[in-house]
Amino acid sequence: MSLIASGYLTPTNVQEAVSLKRKLRDKALVVAGGTAAVQLISKMIIEPQAIISLEKVPLDYVKIRSNSVEIGATTSIAKLIQSRGLPNALKKAAESIHGLALKDMATVGGNIFTPAPAGDLATALLSLDAVLILRGGRGMRSVPLSNFYRGPLQFNIKPDEILTAVKISRPPKLSAFLKQTPWKYSGPTIASVSASLDLDRNGRTRRAMVALGGLTTHPYRAKKVEKMITGKKLSEQLIDGAAQQLTDGVEVIDDALASSWYRRELAQVLFKRILYNFISGGD
Amino acid sequence: MRIRFKLDGQDVEVDVKHTDTLLKVLKDRIGVGSVHFGCGEGSCGACMVLINGRLRYSCLTLAGYVDGKEVTTVAALARDGELTEIQRAFLENDAAQCGYCTPGMILTAKVLLEKNPSPSDEELFDALAGNLCRCTGYIPIINAIKSVSRR
Repeated sequence: MSLIASGYLTPTNVQEAVSLKRKLRDKALVVAGGTAAVQLISKMIIEPQAIISLEKVPLDYVKIRSNSVEIGATTSIAKLIQSRGLPNALKKAAESIHGLALKDMATVGGNIFTPAPAGDLATALLSLDAVLILRGGRGMRSVPLSNFYRGPLQFNIKPDEILTAVKISRPPKLSAFLKQTPWKYSGPTIASVSASLDLDRNGRTRRAMVALGGLTTHPYRAKKVEKMITGKKLSEQLIDGAAQQLTDGVEVIDDALASSWYRRELAQVLFKRILYNFISGGD
Repeated sequence: MRIRFKLDGQDVEVDVKHTDTLLKVLKDRIGVGSVHFGCGEGSCGACMVLINGRLRYSCLTLAGYVDGKEVTTVAALARDGELTEIQRAFLENDAAQCGYCTPGMILTAKVLLEKNPSPSDEELFDALAGNLCRCTGYIPIINAIKSVSRR
């Protein structure tokens, strides 16, 4: 392996993958399912000297325990859907990715790096307060997904690191995900909303996490909205008021798919649908 | 780099770049006719092939990935000139108009029906979501697949 300067590399375990990444750093593109990464090459956004394919690295697993969920980075959407006991938002986000080939190719880890108008799993994972497990030259590092996005295709990952797993600790009791696409069974995401709540004994919100996707290159948490609904009993009035703050201070994408005005309105509608459903006892 | 793989049962050896897509290699280098370029971003399904039996967009698969694997195109489904049940159903239902999407549609139908011989409408539409027919002949395509599914 020491002579490798370029090519299509297929490490067989995490240590090998990391040592290749240490050597090649940003000259190498890490590829799992390929659905997003290969487009970076074919659309000439990047020209990597080497490909580090994770196809032989055993990161294809879902571990569901009583108080945590851990998903290997190369787990496909199809495999994720088959797992029992996933938080509802994550399950719904996975099911909203349509098409036999896409479900079988796209991976959970890859989805974290996939920009709008795709990457719906990241929106759900963000609302579940997921943590990314990164492995690099200096060992393991945990980064909350809420602290991972730095800008368009810019991430809080070092050149010698590889994403190996996504972990959700203390999955919230209530969670839901909704997205809107131009047509029912496929197509780019115009907007997606994922929300998770824990309620206390009196029905007050103890913990609230709200994530929005499709509005910006990568999903974000609506912290202001979370603050507005935490510690309170949810009512339609409170939900409607909070909805107006979802895109506060956010520059929303305005393109041929939808205007920024439309996306903002749509995000509010999806948010209200989710939270109304929570107070009426659904999930 | 040199890769070796089985293409429709035949051994193939070809020099590729690590950034070449499988679609490019199949279509431009080897001259496979049934694998089409449509969108190049995994939306249309015109480039679909089976890799070790699994449905893949060849436009989103790097050529290096198939080294040592088996690639099957729609051309290998018929045996001794005898079409498969799904292919016959496409003919009988006039499910091909211009034919550009047909290889991908047939491969998707094949994989779906192997996994799930009697799909509901919901499951059928979900599975076919990654295949676009620009002639918009979806009704005959759905009818063809339904005619061979066990209900």
